[in-house]
Parts: sequence; structure tokens; C-alpha cells
Amino acid sequence: MEAVRIRLEQIHKTFLHRIKGEVTAVKNVSLEVEPGEFLTLLGPSGCGKTTTLRMIAGFERPDRGRIFIGEEDVTDLMANRRNIGFVFQNYALFPHLSVFENVAYGLKVQGKNSADIDREVAKVLELVGLTAYERQFPHQLSGGEQQRVALARAVVIEPRVLLFDEPLSNLDAKLRVYMRGEIRRLQKALAITAVYVTHDQEEAMAISDHIAVMNEGRIVQIGTAEELYLRPEDAFVAQFIGRINALPAKVLTVADGTVTLSLFGRDFRLTAPPDGLAAGRMIQVFIRPEAVTLTRETGGDLLRGIVVERTFLGEKADYLLEMDGGRLSATAYDPLRHGTFAVGETVGVGIESGIIHILKGEEE
Amino acid sequence: MPDAVAALNPSDRLRKTLRDPLLLSILIILWALLALFIVYPLASLLIRTFTDEGKFSLAGVWGILADPMQRQALWNSLLLGTLVGLCGTVLGFLFAYTAVRTNLSKGWAFFLDAAVILPLISPPFTTAIAMIFSFGPRGLITYDLLGLTSVSVYGLPSTLFSETITFFPIAYLTLKAILAGIDPTVEDMAFSLGSSRWRVFRTVTLPLAVPGIANAFLLLFAASLADFATPLILAGNSFPVLPTQAYLQITGMFDLKGGAVLSFVLLVPAFAVFLLQRFWVSRKYYVMITGKAGAKTEIKSVRPWMRHLLLAVCLLISVSILYFYVLLFYASIVKAFGADFTITWKHYHVVFTEGLQAIRDTLIIAGIGMPLGGIYSVVVGYVVCKKDFVSRRTMEIVSMINYSLPGTIVGIAYLLVFNDPPLMLAGTATIIIACYVFRYGPTGIRTTVAILQQIDPSIEEASSSLGANSGTTFRRITLPLILPAFFAGLGVVFIRSMTAISATIFLISINWTLITVRILEKMTELELGVAAAFSILVVLIVFIVIGAISLFLRLFRQPGAPDMANILGG
Repeated sequence: MEAVRIRLEQIHKTFLHRIKGEVTAVKNVSLEVEPGEFLTLLGPSGCGKTTTLRMIAGFERPDRGRIFIGEEDVTDLMANRRNIGFVFQNYALFPHLSVFENVAYGLKVQGKNSADIDREVAKVLELVGLTAYERQFPHQLSGGEQQRVALARAVVIEPRVLLFDEPLSNLDAKLRVYMRGEIRRLQKALAITAVYVTHDQEEAMAISDHIAVMNEGRIVQIGTAEELYLRPEDAFVAQFIGRINALPAKVLTVADGTVTLSLFGRDFRLTAPPDGLAAGRMIQVFIRPEAVTLTRETGGDLLRGIVVERTFLGEKADYLLEMDGGRLSATAYDPLRHGTFAVGETVGVGIESGIIHILKGEEE
Repeated sequence: MPDAVAALNPSDRLRKTLRDPLLLSILIILWALLALFIVYPLASLLIRTFTDEGKFSLAGVWGILADPMQRQALWNSLLLGTLVGLCGTVLGFLFAYTAVRTNLSKGWAFFLDAAVILPLISPPFTTAIAMIFSFGPRGLITYDLLGLTSVSVYGLPSTLFSETITFFPIAYLTLKAILAGIDPTVEDMAFSLGSSRWRVFRTVTLPLAVPGIANAFLLLFAASLADFATPLILAGNSFPVLPTQAYLQITGMFDLKGGAVLSFVLLVPAFAVFLLQRFWVSRKYYVMITGKAGAKTEIKSVRPWMRHLLLAVCLLISVSILYFYVLLFYASIVKAFGADFTITWKHYHVVFTEGLQAIRDTLIIAGIGMPLGGIYSVVVGYVVCKKDFVSRRTMEIVSMINYSLPGTIVGIAYLLVFNDPPLMLAGTATIIIACYVFRYGPTGIRTTVAILQQIDPSIEEASSSLGANSGTTFRRITLPLILPAFFAGLGVVFIRSMTAISATIFLISINWTLITVRILEKMTELELGVAAAFSILVVLIVFIVIGAISLFLRLFRQPGAPDMANILGG
């Protein structure tokens, strides 16, 4: 089957909450998912990502706006007429049916004959590596196996799109990493458009073609993992994707495509700053901890910092440094080779102008 | 944020209800039935109590309260209820604690459970009859063993003892669930903080169990308040209680109004218990929030000598229960218990000749009531739990009323309403069946609701996403999952149809009679052997049916489905 495009146009959804009254879950969200693309909706809990997904599935109806799957406007279509595959957070396997019957359910509903059903179920179970489990019941399976049954059940009906609602959050860390690889492999093999919901930024970065970061019912930024990480357009994105220092800096001069800032008592010259910066203003700048370099030598161009906290994590060590005029998080990789710094030690801190990030319109 | 989805506002709800013709017609039928068999009889009872020649009057109630004999009956009922509540709760707690906290082996646990279940499935007179065989004028213990001749078995002590033995299993089942829900790691934690065993019990275990204890007490109080059979046989003339007084008022003095007023007096404390349970105890439950299921801990809260003591007490009580049943069986196969111990089958001969009509009638009534009760339970439970419609809460509460009220009240209310045209149903099988369905169906309703609440909504959504419409989803997913509730509803209606008497004694006739009523008649005619034989027969039939249902439940067992024991406790 040809992969299809998913398009959301200005969808809006409010709920009546028992205590809080009317709550807006999704605010005028527009989104396009290209045919065959794997898009992830990423955000903290309550950001509207699951509601958006459930509206694509047809479990919720938007108050306003239209939803298209392929060229078809499905806004008023019930979930059972949309031809989607949905994988739930808690798997939602039918507890009274065996693995075979769970997977066969959608095919039976379609009215296929039993020979076809047997063949197609066997094929999908092989695809997810559960061939020997046909007669087992859900409660006899491990979490990972249950998840694979849920996956098989969703794809066996050859849906137009695959939708995932935090499918890995009930699994342990190792299995989560393994299963996300499996999901991605399956989606590529089937060449099917997929929308995936998670609050785990690492999972989102590992699995997606594009990530739409959501906050308070809106999509804040859409991009590849790399774009979001390197060029966040928004303080929320900067802080949600990876870790980042948010630091106050003073604008000294603005002239022909460069800006001079004062940070930790030192001047930095940045090229191609966003518009709207004015000399004399305080602004917020962002620095990734791993972009900072730490050395034992403290002379030359280097800033000086005192180690306040140290967290040793194996392949890296995180430090919190007391600087002249504020605190800074820094990460040093490969401690085997470079050694670690002790709490109380004074270290040289290297910050190059290139790692200082100013957001568009981000003025204090 | 699907969990934040709240109810629709009332006008949307009304519109939605009106748009769904199937739901609408089901609701109309249900409300018609509830109105006819629950609201109307109860309203009539109240009207009859508070009117005199068509005008509002308190004369009836004052008349009863002014009569010292009836005042004594009210006082006795409350006293008996309180004592049974206290003794039964203590005994139930002892059993539950032993079962949950002493690492019983499987065999012991089964033995205790079996002994405790027996009184729950027996006709109401069983312990009372056995008490007479044991402690009566020619009793095995009083006369044959101790040689006493002047003791009277009738009165408060024996009624109390018999009711405690009969009803404490309810407390046991309630408290066992509560105690089993207390994570032993919480007790471990208290130990690790340096508490002694006794202190852990006093400061951790007991406080956590308090809501369960309160609930058990109220359940037993209500059961004793409603109990008609035991006091009728054991209380004697010196200890009148309300249900028997109401019965005698109607059958002995043909004073329907007096019976109605008496049952109203009974209704007041019963209703108070209902309110306390629903709005107070149910909110006091502590929710045990535990992250991950902890490693199975060796339960250390009981010292070895304490364990042996607890076991010994439970064993003693279980053995005395079994002794009662053995005695009952023995009495059913000897010529005349206490006088002539020759083995004979003549009592069973009577049962299967003269008693055949009662057996046949009871089985027909139970057999028809069973599927109706099952369907009623599942439909009401489903509608109340899954559908959002105007009057949903009201329906839930109304459906529980007949279950919560003492049978005497329900029986008298039915008699008031269905004894005259246009609804002259008294004496027909229809009214007896209706009584059972609406009185015992609620157990199945609760089971249905409990199961439905455990079915994650995403399971139905999963079915929908796979292309199934709502009809297919209901048929293939929801229905199979609530099947255990259907069997539960069915089983309880059957068992109660075989064993109940308090409500239906007012509804029997020449054409339709019940085994329990025959047992009572044989008791009053002093044909104790036949009464014993009837009782044994009922216990056997119920045992077989419960076995069959348990087997079914196991075959269709779903996650979260209750087992038979819990159903009986509810």
C-alpha cells in the first residue's frame, strides 16, 4: 500500500475537567506528516500530545479544525472507519483472547476467510518474532512480548497510518532501547506513515525523522533531532531537548552583523545575531554543558571556575562550577583519559563565542 | 490528557440519551421495573405507615412505640444487632488475621475457608436447628453429656451465638480482603524502625484495618437486624425482635397495617446503616500505594506461640461449625433425635413425597430467577457504569435499595402492593421470582461494575481502531469480559432462592411454596428430623450449583474476576 500524508489544519480541543472547569488541551495545531515519515510528538505530560494523537485516531473529535489522512477528510469519521493502527501505552490486549486471536481480531472484523487470516497472522507474528506464542494468553507474556503482540495486531490490518501512544513507557530501560529499534525497523520495512507520542527526548531523537515539540497545547518547533538540538528557536525547546545553561548576559555593542556580549566578566563577539538586540540590554543566552571545555591549566584566555558538585557517570562526568558572576554546568567526556576534577578544585573554563546561543526575540 | 475527560453537561447528556434509541428503550424498561418492584412497594409501605383514613397521621407509629412489648422488640433488635456485630467482627478478624498473616499451608487455608463458607450457603435455620439438637431439652450436650434438664435453649445467648456463627463469615471475607491488601512491607518498615510486634499490630495493622472493621460491624449489624429465621426459632417469647413481631402481627393477627408500621420501625436503623456505609465508611478506606510489588517478604508479625494460639482458636470454631452440620445430618437419619437413635430414611421419605411440591416449586423459582437475575445484573451494571445518561446515579442507588433493606420490609411492602387488583400477584411464582431478582441481583450489579471499572477504556478503543463498530466491540470484547459477573449474579440469585425466607414467607401460597418455608413448618410441628433432612438437601443442592458455577468461572476466568467466595461475601 502506498504511504499517505497526514495533515492537521488548525485543530482545537477543550475538555470539561471536574475540578479545573474547561481546559484547552490542544490549541490550533497544524501539522503535516509526509508519506512514509516517522514523526514524533514530544512534550511534557499535559502538553496535548496524546490528545492530538487520539484525534488523528478518531477517539476524540476536535472542536474546530480538520484532519486529513491521504486526501480524505476524516474529521467526522469514526475510529473504526479510518483504517489506522494504534499501539497503546498499556498495550490494551484483549485479555480473554489468545495471541493468535488478538492479532486475528481486526482481520475477522474485516470478514476475511480463515485461510487468509491464518496466513497473515503467521506472517506478522514472524515479523515480530512471536511465532511460537500463538496459543498463549496476554497474561502469560512478558511486557516486551505483550508490546510486540500489540504491534503485530496494529500492523496486520495493513493500516494507512500507524499511531503510537507512549508504547515503551511500561518497559524497562534496556528493553525500551531494543524495542524502539524494532519499531523503527518495522515502520521502515512497511514504509508506513507513523506518528509517535513520547515524553522521552532521547527516545524521540533515536526513533524519528522529525520531532514536533509540544508545550501547553501548541507545537513549539518542528525539526530533525539535530536541528532541535543545535538550533532551538525557543527557550522551552532548548531546555527540553538535552541539558542547557540559561545565563544572563549584557549586550555591549550591536554593529554590522556582530554583537558583543558580556558574560562572566568577559567580552564575547558573536556573528549573525537575531534582530532586535539593543546595546545596554540584559538578555538570556544558552550554552550546552558539553560545549564547555575544562582544563587543569587556568591561565591564558580561559575563565576560572571552582568545582562545586561532581557527578561521575562513566563515559562522562558532570560538573557544577562557581564562576565569577553565576553558576555553570559543564560536562567532560572520557574521564579515563583526561582524569576528573575534585570538588573545590579551580579549573580553567573554555567558552568559545560559537557555542553561545541567542534565541530569536529572546530579550529580557 | 484523556483521564481528565469529565461528564457531559446535563443538556448534552439528555440530548445524547434521546438520540440513542436502544439505550433509551433499555432505560425506560429498567425504570419501569425499578419503579414497580422497588419504589412503588416501598412508597406504599411509607404511605400506609403515615396515613390514617387517607390523612397524614403519626398515630400508627406512636401506637407501636407506646406498646411496651414492641418497644422491647425494637430495643432487643438493636441490642442483638450490636452484640452480633461486635462478636462476629472479633471472630471474623481473628479468622482473617490467621488466614492472611500466619503463613497457612494450602490445606489449612482450604479447611478454614470451607468451614467458614458453610453457614453462608445454608438455609437460615441450619445453625438454629443444630443449636436445639445440641442444647435443647433433649440436646446432645445439655442432656446426654451434662445431664441437665432445666436449662432453656431459648433467649438472647443462644440467638446471639447462632447468629454470630451464621454471619461472622461475612466479616471474615470483608476483613480478609482488607488485611490482604495491607502490604507486609509496611509492617516490615515499622519493625525496622524498632517497634515490637504488638506495637506494629497496634499502630500500623489495626489502624489500616479500621475502615474494614467498621464496615464488617455494619454488615453484621444489618444482617442480624434483618434476620428473621434464627430469632423465630431460638429467641422464644421472652426475647421478641422486630422482624418476628412484624411477621406475627401479620400472620397471627392479620394486622397488615401493624406489620407495615413495625417494619417501618425496622427500616430506620437499617437505613441509617445503609447511609453510614455508603457515605462514611466507603470514604475512609486507605488506598495502599506501593510503587513496585515488593519482594515477597516472610511475614514476621506473629510470634510462633501466637500463631499456634490463633490457629487453635480458629480450628475450635471451624470444628464446632462442622459439628453442627454433622449433627444435622445425624438428626436427619435417626428416628427421633434425643429419644430413638435408630437409623432410618423415613425423614427423607417424607421430604421426597410430601415435600416434593416445595422442592419442585423452589427449583422452578430458582431456575427461572437465575437467568433473569444474571441478565438484570449485567444490564444494570453495564448501563450504570458505561453509559452517561440523566438519572444514572439515581438508578444506581435505587437498584441497591431492596438489597440493603431487611427482607421482612421488602416482603411486607410487596404484600401491601401485590395483594389487591390490578397487581394481584401475591401467591404467584412471578412475585417470588421478582422479589429474588430485585433483592439479590445487586450482588451481580456490583460485580459487573467492578469488572467494567477494571477494563481499561483503551481495550474498547483498540477494538474500534481495528475496524470494529460499537456492536461488534460489545459482543466480542465487553460481553465476554463481563461474563463472570453474569455467572455471579446468576449464582447468588439461585443460592438465595434456595435459602432465603424473610421476604418470601409473606408471598407464598397454596400453589407456590418453598423449601425454607417447609423447614419452618416442620420445626413448629416438631418434626425436627424432617426439617433436618430438608436442610441437608438444600445444602447439597447449593453445594453442587456453587461447584458448577465455580467451574464455569474458572473456565471463563478473566483478570480481576472475583471468585465465588467474594461474591457470597458481598
